[in-house]
Formats: sequence, C-alpha cells, structure tokens
Amino acid sequence: MNTYFKEYFDYKSLGICLALVGAGLISIYSATFDINNAANFDRQVVWTMVGFVALVVAAYFPLKTVQRLAIPLYVATLAMLLIVLIIGKTTSGSKSWFDFGGSFRLQPSEFAKVITVLAFAAFLSKTTVTIGNMKHLIVGLTIFALPMGFVLAQPDLGTSVVFFGVMVPLLYWAGASRFMFAAILAPILVAFGALLGTTAFLIAVVLSGLLLFVTRENNFAAALAFGITLAVGLSVQIVYERLPTYQRNRIATFLDPGHDPLGAGYNVLQSKVAIGSGGLLGKGYMKGTQTQLNFIPEQWTDFIFCVPGEEFGMLGASVVLILFASLLFHGIKVGELSKNKFGSMTAIGITAILATHVFINIGMSMGLMPVIGIPLPFLSYGGSSLVSNMIMVGLLMNVYANRKSY
Amino acid sequence: MMETADFGSPRRGNVMVIIVAALFAVLFLRLYQLQLFYHEELGKQSEENSIRTFVKEPIRGYVYDRNGKLMVDVGPSFTVTVIPAGFEAGNLELLSSFLQTEPQSIQDRITKGRARSRFSPVKVLRDINFTALSAIEEHLFMLPGVSYEVESKRYYPTKARASHLLGYCKEITDAQLAKAGEYYRQGDVIGSAGLEASYETFLRGEKGYEYVAVNSKGQLLGSFENGKNDKRPTEGFDLVLSIDADVQAFAESLMTNFRGSIVAIDPNDGGILAMVSKPDFDPSVFSGVTPAEVWNQLNNDLEKPLFNRATMTRYPPGSTFKMLVAAAALEEGIIDENYRITCRGAYRFGNRTYKDQKVHGSTNIVEAIQKSCNVFFYQLILKVGLDNLNRYSGKFGFGQPTGIDIGEETAGLIPSVEYYDRVYGKGKWTQGYLVSLGVGQGEIGASPLQMARYAAALANGGTLRQPHAVNLVRNKQTNRMNTIEHRSGRVGISQNNMNLIREGMRRVVQEAGGTGGMARVPNITSAGKTGTAENPHGDDHSWFVGFAPFDNPKIAVAVLLENAGFGGTRAAPIGGFVIEKYLFGDVRRRMYIAPAKKDTVVKVTQAVAQ
Repeated sequence: MNTYFKEYFDYKSLGICLALVGAGLISIYSATFDINNAANFDRQVVWTMVGFVALVVAAYFPLKTVQRLAIPLYVATLAMLLIVLIIGKTTSGSKSWFDFGGSFRLQPSEFAKVITVLAFAAFLSKTTVTIGNMKHLIVGLTIFALPMGFVLAQPDLGTSVVFFGVMVPLLYWAGASRFMFAAILAPILVAFGALLGTTAFLIAVVLSGLLLFVTRENNFAAALAFGITLAVGLSVQIVYERLPTYQRNRIATFLDPGHDPLGAGYNVLQSKVAIGSGGLLGKGYMKGTQTQLNFIPEQWTDFIFCVPGEEFGMLGASVVLILFASLLFHGIKVGELSKNKFGSMTAIGITAILATHVFINIGMSMGLMPVIGIPLPFLSYGGSSLVSNMIMVGLLMNVYANRKSY
Repeated sequence: MMETADFGSPRRGNVMVIIVAALFAVLFLRLYQLQLFYHEELGKQSEENSIRTFVKEPIRGYVYDRNGKLMVDVGPSFTVTVIPAGFEAGNLELLSSFLQTEPQSIQDRITKGRARSRFSPVKVLRDINFTALSAIEEHLFMLPGVSYEVESKRYYPTKARASHLLGYCKEITDAQLAKAGEYYRQGDVIGSAGLEASYETFLRGEKGYEYVAVNSKGQLLGSFENGKNDKRPTEGFDLVLSIDADVQAFAESLMTNFRGSIVAIDPNDGGILAMVSKPDFDPSVFSGVTPAEVWNQLNNDLEKPLFNRATMTRYPPGSTFKMLVAAAALEEGIIDENYRITCRGAYRFGNRTYKDQKVHGSTNIVEAIQKSCNVFFYQLILKVGLDNLNRYSGKFGFGQPTGIDIGEETAGLIPSVEYYDRVYGKGKWTQGYLVSLGVGQGEIGASPLQMARYAAALANGGTLRQPHAVNLVRNKQTNRMNTIEHRSGRVGISQNNMNLIREGMRRVVQEAGGTGGMARVPNITSAGKTGTAENPHGDDHSWFVGFAPFDNPKIAVAVLLENAGFGGTRAAPIGGFVIEKYLFGDVRRRMYIAPAKKDTVVKVTQAVAQ
C-alpha cells in the first residue's frame, strides 16, 4: 500500500485540482453572494461532489477499457451534439444544452472535448496507424473536425477554438511534420487576415504560400494545402457575416480594443478594472466592489478570475496562476513519462484542453484575448464543465498510475 | 510518406514546456501591469464605477427682524436629478412629460452635467410641483438614473417685502459657477442680490454628501461602507437684522404712489431700521424657478424695479446739504452764531442771479437752516471754499461707499478742485460753479443711504457709523449668537457748533416758519431738513432728512421721492410717519401725502441712469 502511494498515486494532480476547486467555490460564493444567484453556490457544491465521484471512477477505471470505449463514446458524443443542435436549449444565442427539466442541465460539448481527445489517442495508438500516413492524418484531423464543426454550428465559437487548441499540440506530440503544421497554420493566418481587411488578407496569403513552399515535401500536397487555405480565407468572410451579432461584436472588440466601451468591450473593461483595482493584496474577501456590485456580467462563469484578482489582489491571482502552471507542467510530465501511447496522448490532450481554457479565459479577463466565452477550469460556475474537468484529472491520475505499462 | 518526428520526442516535450512557461510569463506580466502599474488609475475607475455621490442640500439660514419676527422662512422644494451614466436616453420623453417641460431642456442639462461627471446627479428641473413629484416618485423604477433632491425654498411670511435689502437667490449662472469654485455645481441656488448674496457663505450652510453603492445597472444598493464616509449637511446660519419688519412694511406702504427711497437708521449703532426702494418686486418670484418672462420683465422695466435706489442712486441733496456747509463754516471759524446776513430774495454773483424761495431778511445760521435761506448759503459757500467743502463732506461720509453689508452701493459724487480741473480744464471753471453747491445743487450726488447716515451723525452728536442690516449671526451648530463689529468715527464737529445746527433742524420741524412742519410728530420733538433737488430731466426730487426724539434720538431717516416736487410737502410727512411708526408702534392720525405729479417714465429712467 505504501508503495502504491509513493509510486502510483498522483497526489499532485489531485491536490492541485482540489485546491483549484476550493478557490472556485470561494470565488463563486463571493460573486453570487447577496444577489439572486446565491443558489448557484449550493448547486456548485453538489456538482463538486458529483465531480469527485466521477474523478475517482475515471482514476480507477481500467485504462485499457477506456481505450476500447473511446471510439464508441466518441460516436455517441457526435450523436448527442447533433441532437442538441436540433432540440437543445438556447443560452445566450447558442444551442448547447440538454435540459432535463428543473435545475439539471447538461452541456455535451464540455464532455465532447475530452472524449475527442480519447478517440484521437485511441486511433493513433493503434499499431497500424502512423501520423506520417496521409490517410491516417486525414482521419485524425476528421476526428477533431466533426465535433468542432457541430459545436461551431451551435454556434459556440469558444468551444470550437478549444478543439483547435487541443488538436495542434496533440498532432505535434504525435510527431506530425513541419509541413503538416504549415498546412494547418496557413488557413488560420489567412482567416485572420480576412477579418482584418483586404491588405492583411493579401499579406497573409503571400506569407502562408511561402510557409507551405518552404516546408513542402511534395508539390501536390503543398498546392492542395494552398488551395484549401485560399478557400478557408474566402469562406471566413461569409461565415463572419452569418455569425450572430454578439459574436461579431466580440471579434470586432478584440481586433479594436477600446471600441464600444459599453457594448462588447464593457465586460473586458470592467474585468480589467476589477483586477487592476485589486492591487497587490486585494480589497479583501467579499469586499471587491466590482464583484459585489455585479459590474461584470456573468462573472461567476466566464469572468470568475476577477474575483481572486480583485479581492485577493496580485497575491491571490498569482496563487491561482501558479496552481494552473503546476498542473499543466505536471500534465506534460505525465505525458512524457507514460510508456503507453494512448495514455501519453491522453495526458497531453487533457493538458492541452486545460491550457487552452486557462490561457484564453485568463487572457480574456485581462484584456489580452477576445471574449469568446469559455470557462476557467475548476473555478467557473457550471456543473458540466466542473465534472468533465474532474474526470480529466481522474484520467490524468489514471495515466500516471499506469505510466509504466505498455 | 511524409517525414515525421518520433512520437513523444523529448525535444517536442521541452518545446511544449517552454511554450506553456512563456504563456504563463505573459499572464504574470499582464497581472503585474494591471495590478501594480495601472493600479492607481484602475482603482480610481472602480470607485467611480460603484459609488455614487449624492449631495444633501443644507437648509438655508432663516432671517429674523430686530424683534425676532421671522422675515425669511425656508420650505422644502423638490429638484429632479439625473445621473448621466445611468440615464436611458429612451426615457427622455417620458421624463419630460412627467415634468411638463421640453425634452430639449432636460437633454441640454444632462449634456452639460455629463461634461463635469458622468456619475454625479445633474439637477434637471428645480422646484417641481406636487403633481410632477408624485408622477416621478411613482415611476422611479422605470426611470433608472432619475432621482430627486430636497432643497430649500424661500418664503416671506411678513408683509414687508424689503426686496432690495433681503435680495434673492437664483440658480447659479455659468459665470458665477466659473468664479465660485468647487463648492457649487450646475443647478445650485446661490444668493444673487442683497443680503442673500453678501451673507451667502453664512446663510447657505455646508452641503452634505452621501455615498451610495450602486450595481452595474445603476441601481442603488445602499450606503457605501455603512455610511462611514458620509457627511451630514450643516444648516446655514440665521441672520438677525436691525430691520423692524413692521416699520419696513409700513414704510413700503407709504411709498406706494412714489418712486424713490426711504432709509431709516438707528443713530446709536448704525443699524438699518427700514430700507425701501420703489418700485420694488415681490422677492418670492425668485424663491423657486424664476420663469424667463418674469426675469426679463423685471430687467426691462423702464422704472427699474431691480435697481436699489437706496444705495445705488446719486441725487443732488438739495437743501438737506446745508447742515454740512454750516458745519464746515462754523468749525473752520469762518462764521459764528452771531454772524448775520440780510436776505433780499436773490444773490448776484458774477453776471448771474441765484434765486431764493422768498425774502428772509436778517438771518443767522440757525434761522438760515430753519427757513432754508438760500442766499445765506450762496455767500457762505464762497467763504468756505471748495477744499473745505470737500473735506467736511468726507467727514460725513459723502463721496465714499458707506460699507453697508448688502453689497452694491455707489460712492456718490462730491466735487473737488481736481474734479473740476478734470471735467472743465484747469482755469476754465469759476467760483460761480461753487455757488449752487452751497445749497446742494449742481455736480453733487448722494444716495439716500448716505443721507440717512448723515442724518444719524447729526442726531447722535457727531458719530459717523457704518450702516448695516445684520446685527447678529446665529451659528446653528453652537447655537451661539455672534455680533458683527462695525466701524465708527467722530466727524469732528465741536459740541457748540453741533448744537447750533441741531437747533436749526429742530426749528425746521417744530417752529413756525420752518420748512418741515409736515414732519412734525405729536407728543415728541423731532428735527429735520427738507430739500428740493433740481432735476434737469424733469420735476424736482423731494428730500427729507430728520431724526427723533430730539434730545435722545432713536431714529434717523432719509426720504427721497423722485420727481415729487417740494420736499416740505411730500418727503417731510413721510419722514414724520416713519418716525412715529417706529417710536410709537403706530400712527394715530389721519395720513395724507399729496400724490406726486407723474413724470414720464423715460425721463425718470434717464435720471436714474445718470
């Protein structure tokens, strides 16, 4: 038993996870105290208990079985995402919820992220599959592209960005070549250019052309990739036009910060004020005026980072950042240590999911990122997110425990 | 087949660690930048965000008369305010319909206020009526950013108007706002004339501030930090005047048919007992919101009702000036009580003849005052000379402001050698210019207030006192009465000479042959002097100065009636009535004052403007 705790029990993941969940509960309590949302805290406590059970199950479920179940689960998730698209509940302009009546609601896209990672890991860890094979690469990309497309159709820009943020490091870890990255990055570059205007678009096209040319391994693939890049760039404009106004505003605000301070930029402005006014030691728990007076809309969800920032200052915010950094470094370490390809990919994928959330969410709270509405893991209010994050930590612990088996 | 790296290569692991580390470094730097570097700026912004400052208007001080009678009262007035940051533009029409006013005027005020602070309430309409107040009160929930404040409003419970003395409060103008500094904000009421203006800092009190926390929708959540930073408003100080409200009201009633002024002073302390300037205005028109029409009408009225004739006019004093010439001549030893001349009804100087009312025959100084003999003073002033006249005028306070505590006043005009040299050129004026000065005509001007003070100095035997309307100021915090120090000085006329002049004045009123018999008050000895000031623009102005009781004076009075003709018949009886009212509390005889001949208003205006 002693050896088990020394060798196989990932107390680090668990400890950090619990510390972050604790920080989350403290923050949610402060953010929802004295307003009509006070019940949110109680609900989050219940979700924490549910999450803890899920964590334990994920940590001790046989990893091989997880691997075997990954693909069927993935298919089921795709089905759920499709169903939610058709019958789901609309929240702030996007259909992403299953409403089971009462206060129990489920957001399949939260679970879709980790299941997609598992499916991708399961697919690539098949002995017959190598990333260097074009056919296999395309299948791998499709595993990401399908849920990403469904989520984008909800439309939930934030979650689809997360899928992208997970896909790139996973491909990298799986050993994809430089050209593959060029082929993936080029369309993004051009898409951004398209949003910024004609000149930027043309420069992006030239740059991505050069990138593809320099890293090319065969001319046909390079030409194909360039064609896709152009198509993406042109269609971005069309998609942008179709986006709901609130998301278009958010993009515009990101591209031109300070524009429209009472519109989409209002959240960012207030959140920056909240964090900045916290100073070194903060205003004291439950004493943050921005937090207590509800200046930041929905701050118990996407803008929860303002609470430690305002009430505990640089000290509190740094503790949260350090906890996240430790978890991410540890996640990469677990990925590196795992001799099992599925486990390793899972660890890196989970780390990538968490990292994308952390950097986008905190970056957005401090005005470094566009407001694309994704929760801060463990801290933001929300049952689906908390439970899926705790499942991920459980899986990470599972991979750690099985790191020595092939 | 594409070239790929090995699965899970250590190099790629390191690259990922470096990228994650770099991204955290960016987050930490940003955190440092926001929380330490921009902390001050963002902290201030967060305060502005969440704290609204509500001004609590103090209760303006009350004003009492010398007997403790309340002259200026205070009542509540409701003012609608709007916080620009919290106001929804779509509600403008609704708000303006509740307030029964133009949306544009509300919008203009919000725009103006926003420039100062987006988060401070702007006064958009003062003194709203009860209907508007209830409409606002009932609909506050649908009018975010809208609120109301309670301010003070003036009421005047006595019959006395005392419009020019009390003055009025008015909404602060942009010019005043620029000058008055931080204390005031747009829409505030400020004392703008009379005592309200000169005692503004005493009367106004100090505003209180209430800090209230608000949420992002501008909804009030309750006091900020349990009100520990709040400041209660401090009540304004009360003024206790030297005015007798009954005498004031009575004096005003005497002037109903006249343009002009009455000033009554207590010769023992310089306190103003009554100050009337007619035509006047109802001060209560300024107590709430003064409609532009009313303001314009008062301003454009040719009879100038806003103009304080008691302190701002400069009329030649006419024969009432003779005591001063006498004092100079006696005190300089030019004449004495035995000096006599023979009056033949006219005086010739150079190639001009100066007329008198009648032939007075052999006349000494006392008789000259009693009968108002012009010839006596024509020749006397030539002996006294311009320099002496100027010097003695100064001793009695002519040609200089009195220092009265109600603000604006004129210095008046007493000519000097320098004055004539400047106006006519050196050597281009003659002694002849001096002759009319001997009877108070020509280039000489004094306000009724200066004349009343002169009368008071003659009454009390030669002490010139700073006239004032406020006797005491009550500090509402300590509830202590504070007296105000006033200047006084001796005019420097010997007892004997003063007695001669006073005897002349007594005879004016009390003896047959005196010109001021109509000022006589039953059962009491009074003294005085009438005057008729020639007016090149119309009918003569009518003067009376006097005091009573003769042996122990308690009141000195100056009466000026514009274009009312002979002083003895119109100004003198008014002076007598005022004295009687003050000394006996009532006038128990038939009151008759011959009505004035109405001159054209235009001529009056010219005279006033002069």
